[in-house]
Amino acid sequence: MSAATVTLRTLIPAALGVIALLQPAWAEPAADVRVTYSNGQFQPGVVSAPVDKPVVIHVKNLDAKALEFESTSLRVEKVVAAQSEGIVNVRALKPGRYEFYDDFNDKARGALVVE
Amino acid sequence: MRTTRHPAPRSTSQSALVLGALAVLLGGTAAARAEDASAWQDASSWREIETKYIFGFTTGSGIGLEGEKEFTVDSVGRFGKRDGHYAATETKYEFEFTPSQFVQIEFGALGSTHNIGGMTDLDGRNQAAFGGGFAEIRYLAVERTSNNPLSVTLAVEPTVRLIDETSGASVHNYEFETTVNADLELLRNRLYAGVNLLYEPEVTRTATDGTQREATFGGAAALSVRLAPNLLIGGEVWYLRHYDSPTLSAFTGDALMAGPTLYVKFTSKMFMTAAWNAQVWGREVGNPVALNLSEFQRHRARLKFAYEF
Repeated sequence: MSAATVTLRTLIPAALGVIALLQPAWAEPAADVRVTYSNGQFQPGVVSAPVDKPVVIHVKNLDAKALEFESTSLRVEKVVAAQSEGIVNVRALKPGRYEFYDDFNDKARGALVVE
Repeated sequence: MRTTRHPAPRSTSQSALVLGALAVLLGGTAAARAEDASAWQDASSWREIETKYIFGFTTGSGIGLEGEKEFTVDSVGRFGKRDGHYAATETKYEFEFTPSQFVQIEFGALGSTHNIGGMTDLDGRNQAAFGGGFAEIRYLAVERTSNNPLSVTLAVEPTVRLIDETSGASVHNYEFETTVNADLELLRNRLYAGVNLLYEPEVTRTATDGTQREATFGGAAALSVRLAPNLLIGGEVWYLRHYDSPTLSAFTGDALMAGPTLYVKFTSKMFMTAAWNAQVWGREVGNPVALNLSEFQRHRARLKFAYEF
């Protein structure tokens, strides 16, 4: 067995392990959260999700123009076309309040409360 | 690769200028804070801000939003050595993206300019050249929440240079910058503190001097206050140590740099950051002169424009 083969056999599992550590635990069952956007506002304005579970946010845009669902603390952004639904996958979250907004409309704000 | 050392007259005017600017900056911040308490409360309704670029040369912990892409032009200029005239810039033409909610990746090309004349230890030069390339990976290790104001990111940035940063000569330089970027939200949406730790080993091969190994080790502390939703100002202090060995065993000198910072967000997708540092203290091992102008410069300035898409 060559040194290169031994090195590869060592490095590949190590690299896969590092990649696995860097990834969120998507395999866990996710909590669904639903938000509707109409007349330039998120409804409800505050939604909740459980601690330490991935979250799937369904954003239904009822307005006639697109919105950009965005959150600095959730670290996500998603453009949702008019009259359509967008899905935003979020990692398992620690307890806290995570604000989100429509990047195209400064007045449209909401929050995800994780508790 | 660094220049060799030589003595020169001491000068404190630049230091006084920087300290004065910092005093004005911090004084202005304190005055603004005391002026209108209600304005401070209003900040709670502002959008949260990405902290990566709000501290000047000091890098915040932000890694962007998943799926976000950004193109930036980031220029750093270094000015002033012991004698003659010295001006060098390095510009990063950079693409960065955030493939997950924990990782950010950047890569790009380097352009460099050198305008050097009348110096004892460096050849005169007036050139602009393609300087090399770099890549960076950033991993968010500790994330900020509404219950935890601290955020920490680990970053590594391998860089290959074909033009020496200091002299402008043709070289093969390999650098591996490793940093810890931490920041703390001291007042919600208003006041931020940033801390960096840096370890930067490098090896340089030249046509005439053979191979040179060296390392820079140090850290930074910065404070940034958000005066308006799209405007932050602040100040930062850097302490850097230089070694002629990647294992930090051959100390050659250190320096303290300080200066003001500015961050302006023009639109939700476009911003700029600017910073200026002056060397306020420094020493060279075996050379009793003011400041360390062998391994560092009198002044450095940064100007960065970014567009997100």
